[in-house]
Amino acid sequence: METVLTISNLTKHFGRIKAVNNLNLEVQRGQVFGMLGPNGSGKTTTLGMLMGVVNPTAGQFSWFGEPPTHHIRKKIGAVLEHPIFYPYLSGQKNLELNAMIKQCPAENIPNVLDLVELTERKDDKYRTYSLGMKQRLAIASALLNDPTVLILDEPTNGLDPMGIAEIRELIRKIAANGKTIILASHLLDEVQKVCTHFCVLRRGDLIHTGPVGSVGSGAETVEVIADSENTYEILMSFAGANDIHRENGSFQVALRDGFDSKDLNKFLFEKGVVASHLVTKKKSLEKQFLEILAGS
Amino acid sequence: MVHLLKIDLKKLTSYRTFWIVCGLYFITLAFTTASGMEFLKWLARTFEGFGSSLNINRIPIYHFPDVWLNLIYFSGFFKIILGIMTVISITNEFQYRTLRQNVIDGLSRWQFLASKILTNVLLSFLSVAMIMVISFATGLIYTPSVNWTYVFADMEFLIAYFIEIFAFLSFALMLGVFIQRSGLTIILLLLARMLELIIRENIDEYVPWLIEFLPLESIANLVPMPLERYAFQEIRDYLTVSSIAIALAWTFLFNYFSYMKLKHSDI
Repeated sequence: METVLTISNLTKHFGRIKAVNNLNLEVQRGQVFGMLGPNGSGKTTTLGMLMGVVNPTAGQFSWFGEPPTHHIRKKIGAVLEHPIFYPYLSGQKNLELNAMIKQCPAENIPNVLDLVELTERKDDKYRTYSLGMKQRLAIASALLNDPTVLILDEPTNGLDPMGIAEIRELIRKIAANGKTIILASHLLDEVQKVCTHFCVLRRGDLIHTGPVGSVGSGAETVEVIADSENTYEILMSFAGANDIHRENGSFQVALRDGFDSKDLNKFLFEKGVVASHLVTKKKSLEKQFLEILAGS
Repeated sequence: MVHLLKIDLKKLTSYRTFWIVCGLYFITLAFTTASGMEFLKWLARTFEGFGSSLNINRIPIYHFPDVWLNLIYFSGFFKIILGIMTVISITNEFQYRTLRQNVIDGLSRWQFLASKILTNVLLSFLSVAMIMVISFATGLIYTPSVNWTYVFADMEFLIAYFIEIFAFLSFALMLGVFIQRSGLTIILLLLARMLELIIRENIDEYVPWLIEFLPLESIANLVPMPLERYAFQEIRDYLTVSSIAIALAWTFLFNYFSYMKLKHSDI
């Protein structure tokens, strides 16, 4: 597999604050790579260094196996933090300017405007756009040069549910074209929904990296609701139960390896309890994430 | 080079403030420099005795070759307007954070600065071209008998004028890069010469040789005050190598400091 990005020992200190600490990472071609971490964990600083706006304190990184230059940045589409454009220029003019900076043909502009559904508003000034439109214009601008790598930093921040759904749909569309995407987010659910690989940062330290799929394959949790007064005791006597706790009137039963929901259902039936609700839950990324954070 | 200039002009030409400020600058510049004779006539009409003690038609402000130095000297006062435009142009990039996005999109920090410097060159060049045309035209109109050997004498001050404008715009750009806020930068730009004059007065007794090396003083030294010659005093009507060398050195330093600041900061 082709390596798109290699980061070795990348470090950034702001005075005494260690924003990024000895970060080592690799991103392969075609991955949708999620960078997870609470606010202030160093995601944006890392991306800032990768895009040449933050000077690293130490360490290196390379894009496509080459040391970074401003020419390479032209082939990477990036939206860091929030969309940045000239407020007094129209969407169209902003994109024309970006095309000049990226030295790519302006013929791409109608295509990307179509993709993000901004064609109708292209001649209005940027400052009249809603936040969702601004985010979409930023993505359009990032796609302008048909980049092989796309960097998105909290792309759904501050959007309403419809805007969030639109942006996610857009990311999936782009990923389906085989582009490598690096997505920073503090929303686990977002990373789980769109990413193939992810890493977790905390206070500048890398504490986990791996594929998203492996996260879900851990032990199962079963959600049970039953009309029996001693459901809890009965569940406790189940050999496959690892941990049980009550949550909003239901029981969350964490199963030991080798047991599944079928076994639990059979056991309950044999004990004369009929479950009115029984749902198998893969361990969510959120749980995994919290465990990773707690464990480190 | 041209590509970078085009990028900066793309930003500016759709910006209304740019057209208003530059329009005001070039219109004021043209009218003020071209209407000196009318101004003298107005003085003569308004104040009794002005005309009788002094025959205004015998003051050769618009005669070749005086016209070059006279107009160039007074045009220099208007460069502050262009300086303010430069400040607005650079501080906008910090305020909107578009400098950051420009770098993300693939400009190097040097290219970004170069695009601003090139616009400064263009504005300086346009000022020179404008004054050249006005001086030439008014000279032809007002000079009683045009002697072509005098017409092009003293034209070398156009070079000094170019350096004067460009050095000042480089200074304004540097202030903008360091301060990053438009209001504060404009105030400092307006006060800078006054602050320097205070320093100048204070060091005058101890190290008078240092004065010509002060940054804004070096810009002011390029083109000497011409009117004293009408009070029968000798004036310097030639360029001096030292004044040009000092001003060019400062111009280089202003832009170099801007670059160093941009290069080493996180944007």
